[in-house]
Amino acid sequence: MSSLTTKRVTSQAIRRIDNQPVYVLHTYPFKETSLVVELFSKDFGRVAAVAKGARRPRSAMRGMLQSFQTLSGAWSGKNELRTLHSLDWSAGLLLLQGEAMMCGFYLNELLLRLLPREDAHEDLFDYYTQTLQTLMTAKELANTLRKFELTMLQEMGYAVPLTHDENDLEIDPELTYCYEADYGAKLSGTSLGTHQNGVQLLGKTMVDMAQGDYRSARTQSQSKQLMRYLLAHYLGDKPLHTRQLLIDLQRF
Amino acid sequence: MKSPAALDQLIDALRCLPGVGPKSATRMAYHLLQRDRKGANGLAVALDTALQVIGHCTLCNNFSEQPICSLCTSEQRDATTLCVVEMPTDLMMLEQTRSYKGMYFVLMGRLSPLDGIGPKEIHLDRLIKRAQDGVVNEVILATNYTSEGEATAHYVSELIKVRGLKVSRIARGLPMGGEIEYVDSGTLAQALLERKNIT
Ligand SMILES: [Zn+2]
Repeated sequence: MSSLTTKRVTSQAIRRIDNQPVYVLHTYPFKETSLVVELFSKDFGRVAAVAKGARRPRSAMRGMLQSFQTLSGAWSGKNELRTLHSLDWSAGLLLLQGEAMMCGFYLNELLLRLLPREDAHEDLFDYYTQTLQTLMTAKELANTLRKFELTMLQEMGYAVPLTHDENDLEIDPELTYCYEADYGAKLSGTSLGTHQNGVQLLGKTMVDMAQGDYRSARTQSQSKQLMRYLLAHYLGDKPLHTRQLLIDLQRF
Repeated sequence: MKSPAALDQLIDALRCLPGVGPKSATRMAYHLLQRDRKGANGLAVALDTALQVIGHCTLCNNFSEQPICSLCTSEQRDATTLCVVEMPTDLMMLEQTRSYKGMYFVLMGRLSPLDGIGPKEIHLDRLIKRAQDGVVNEVILATNYTSEGEATAHYVSELIKVRGLKVSRIARGLPMGGEIEYVDSGTLAQALLERKNIT
């Protein structure tokens, strides 16, 4: 935990957080000259804070509000919108370029859409850091995204069982299964259950995913289908902007 | 006390300005009506005229009264280079340097993946058509060095490169007369990463 100091303001203690490792997920305009900054912090999860005056030309905070950089943040307040006091560099520069940067935007959108506010996920924070560093090398972008999607769902408490099927039998790599959100895998072709959506996939795909092994081309395409289906299930009807943007850009 | 409907309407209308909330809008409305009715009239007429006569230049997409703006019709400009900027203010800043003689394309925005602002909103189709006029041979990307500006530069460069044109990106690093002691860590780190060989 970071050092916490408390200040007394009209008999109401306002918690001040200092030196907290954070990433900027997104910003949007707030009131006349300010911004709301959506932060992903190590110890407090997703926090929204107001950067006062950050839209003024000479604002000290302006240049610091960069996504994909490990920053150190300080804020205070009790309301849903905290007051952001400062953001500082805390690690070396993370340089995402081109497609890797679009992947970074995608991660941020997933976190904004799925991570509830003020819910600490330290391991996911570390995994996000690690994922950005992997993206920086710009190799195997798709596999890196698959691993992040899976880790994120699991860290957030959604069950994504990959080693055993619905009946708790070990997944057979040779057999074909039907995977359904909230239930898991069941052998394809067995008696029709009440739930009939889902994704058809080979047992090997699940075994590979459980081991983080995405070398096989079929595992890559089937895991993509599975994760897309699971994310759509948890995200609801509203599509992801970043995915739509990539589709639109491909039309040129 | 209830304020007159027309006053409420004016306050509401003023809130369409960026960064203007209800308080500022009210202050502006009172100022215009009480202190400066002549100025208010001038504003109303100017706004009305501007709306009627100003459109976008078909070539550079900047604001223009003519179908093609004076910069795009100028014989003094170098038609082989095309500089891509996000906003008209960026074009103005580049013009102030007096070191660029080429043409421009104003995107009127930037790709913003998390806000759903995509290629259509920044007129990418028109930019690509403009760059392929047969005269342009270099496209200079002068979008912001923010994540959104960088994403925009990346996609524009990909789309221009496959069409066989040269693409360049404006450099970044220490400011003019910049002292290392006073520069922010991000800029300095970037300058180190993107250092250039001295020949
Ligand atoms: Zn023009």
